[in-house]
Amino acid sequence: MSTGGEQRYVELFRLSKAYPNPYGDRVTVVDGFNLIMKRGEVVSLIGHSGCGKSTVLTMVAGLNSISEGSVVLSGKEVTSAGPDRAVVFQSPCLLPWMTAIQNVRLGVDRVFAHGTRQQRKEICEYYLDAVGLADSMDKYPRELSGGMQQRVGIARAIALKPKMLLLDEPFGRLDSLTRMELQDVILKILDREKITTMLVTHDVDEAIYMADRICMMTTGPMARVGQILDMPFERPRRREEVLEDPLYYDLRGCLVSFLEEQDRRKHRPAPVPKIAESDAAKSADASDQADALAHAEA
Amino acid sequence: MKYKIIRLLDVAGMNCFEPVVRLCYGEEPRQQVRKIGLFIVAPVVVFALFIGAWAAIAPFIKTKAGSLPSPVDVAGSLVDVYEFHWREYAKKADFARTGDDRDTTLALVTQQLADATERKAVVEAELAELTATLDAETAATLKKYEEAIENQTLVYHASQFEREQELHKLGDKLEVSQDEPREQYVASVREHQTLSARESTHLKELRSDLAAIRKSTTPQFAALLREKNDLDQETQFLDKRASLLSDGNRRSNVASAALTLKNADAALAAAAPGQRYDATLDYLGAEERVLSSAGAIYAKPPTFFDQVFTSIECVFVGFLFATAIAIPIGVLCGLNKVIMASLSPLISLFKPVSPIVWLPIVFIVVGGFIERPDEAWVKPAFLSSAITVALCSLWPTLVNTALGVASIDKDHLNVARVLRLSMWDRLTKIVIPSALPLIFTGLRISLGVGWMVLIAAELLSSSPGLGKFVWDMFNNGSSDTFSQMLLTVFVVGVVGLLLDRIMIVFQRLVSFDGGATAL
Repeated sequence: MSTGGEQRYVELFRLSKAYPNPYGDRVTVVDGFNLIMKRGEVVSLIGHSGCGKSTVLTMVAGLNSISEGSVVLSGKEVTSAGPDRAVVFQSPCLLPWMTAIQNVRLGVDRVFAHGTRQQRKEICEYYLDAVGLADSMDKYPRELSGGMQQRVGIARAIALKPKMLLLDEPFGRLDSLTRMELQDVILKILDREKITTMLVTHDVDEAIYMADRICMMTTGPMARVGQILDMPFERPRRREEVLEDPLYYDLRGCLVSFLEEQDRRKHRPAPVPKIAESDAAKSADASDQADALAHAEA
Repeated sequence: MKYKIIRLLDVAGMNCFEPVVRLCYGEEPRQQVRKIGLFIVAPVVVFALFIGAWAAIAPFIKTKAGSLPSPVDVAGSLVDVYEFHWREYAKKADFARTGDDRDTTLALVTQQLADATERKAVVEAELAELTATLDAETAATLKKYEEAIENQTLVYHASQFEREQELHKLGDKLEVSQDEPREQYVASVREHQTLSARESTHLKELRSDLAAIRKSTTPQFAALLREKNDLDQETQFLDKRASLLSDGNRRSNVASAALTLKNADAALAAAAPGQRYDATLDYLGAEERVLSSAGAIYAKPPTFFDQVFTSIECVFVGFLFATAIAIPIGVLCGLNKVIMASLSPLISLFKPVSPIVWLPIVFIVVGGFIERPDEAWVKPAFLSSAITVALCSLWPTLVNTALGVASIDKDHLNVARVLRLSMWDRLTKIVIPSALPLIFTGLRISLGVGWMVLIAAELLSSSPGLGKFVWDMFNNGSSDTFSQMLLTVFVVGVVGLLLDRIMIVFQRLVSFDGGATAL
């Protein structure tokens, strides 16, 4: 693969999502979202709940139809869901009638159909071991705690050897201790496997600790990329080092002030009329794109 | 161990016994006793009340076939039915017995027969004695009563005759042209008619009272009569067994047929030129007889328990048809909105149709396919009952399957989409497992409906089974058969209950809430 392909491994170009509301008008949730990701990069989407970050992620996953614009992954346009883009949702969504290993196996059988039974079994065991579930492979989801279920979900996603990993608030339902544990589990795997990752979250600390770049989204409707921040920390990361870094609080402050600003804007009455907005959107698009490119090249 | 038993009870749907287990292990006795009172004692008490009320009311409901059978009668009919069953099977076994087995059984039966005959003689003697002593008393009462009725009849006849004469005279004197006297005359004739009618009803009542008195005998007499009756039946039964073990046995039938064959052969060998053709015919006939008697089995009438078994068999055949049709269609409906929308009018149309309507139609159609009912490997009546059951019981499964498939968790479908599972994998690994609990709920309802429908279908189509049993008993119309019909009610109920329980167990085993791992 060329360096250009490595640099522009994932491209989200003017991605938009609009739903018709019951009165015939279209409500645009995401409008002109541009982002370019390098291969092996971890980008975090952050924004207020309901701002459309999950919509962007499900469009990339192919689970949600794209109204306008396109997603290109490794030179191919995304049209439907597929195992090259593994998703971990907020709820583990394991199949309750299968054991942990059977849940992982379902995907592995599909992706490594050419391997022998033994090979496929070993792949499943390797990834379940990697998420720390070596002892609970034959348990049913109801016998596992929420954190352990989410570990199975992560193993299931990574075992597919995806080109891209999509994490949709994967720790949203977990207590903070389990959350930290799982953050480390994922970071360890990502450091080893170098999977291009999109992480949707609304937790500022999580975003700073896990991501290489943080993409802040404006509050919807018509959400778009507001600002992109580079994280200056080296990989592999250690939590204490990141927390003790003098830049940490500056970055955090920057993110929080952006979010607060969005929050204030949201409560401002009388939105700008539509025609004027679309003009403004055009110019904003251009600058966004330039911005995204600049970061990708940096 | 304790929890294992409790889990087993839970899976079997018999949670009501849980407090008993807990009590045995001494866990919070007070609470367990309270629960036992609630879940076991209270239902038992209510059932006892029901039986009591039934026993109290039954004698007052008079019918042509005697009064409504009491619980005791129904319990007695269970014994009768069982005895009939046992006896028929004994006869069947006797017919096929051979060698030493046959000899020892014959000796035993002969012994029993001698005993029974002896006892019967004793009972008959007692009965004769009792009749003699009773006769003197009852004859006097009866005579008095008869005379009274006779007198009453004469009185009524006389008065009727008198009134008629009077009316005739009045009629002669009547001035027919005037309205008022004419109307008066009509009124008095009408009065005469009603009076006569009332008198004849009274006479009828008196006569039926007399009949009741004739019938009513002392309890001792009735008991003896019943005993004699039983012994009659028993000796008859033993007699039949003895004959089946000796002359009527299959082996002796074959032996005698073989002898005839030998004779026919000899006759053919010695036949004069003109008789050879006829002798050969005789020989062939004898040969045929040897073969048929060797293959013969005892022609046993179906007993009550045979009927129960046939009914269960039939309901399962129908239920299998229903399942085989309903689940695939239900899955298709659940998967595809177009199919669902296009099939739903048909489903709504046929769902409420009663089995009574389906049966004759199915009967004709099945009859059309099976031209020779006697030679067919499946009886048309059985098949049409089963198909009727299927037609009526497939709807709950269909609707529930469609619902189960349509309401699959979106997340689970997303998993299928991300993995790009093939249609087959999607069905077997995601759709069916997640719809299974609802499918089984539907199957459970279907089986219940099927069982109810089956009894009606059998009753109408005279296909062997419990329904036919009830119909036969209805046509018999004696008080014994009346109590056997009531017995059928309970047996149908119990079998239905058991079928439901079985389905509950299956339902728990397939649901993924932890039921399966309880075992």
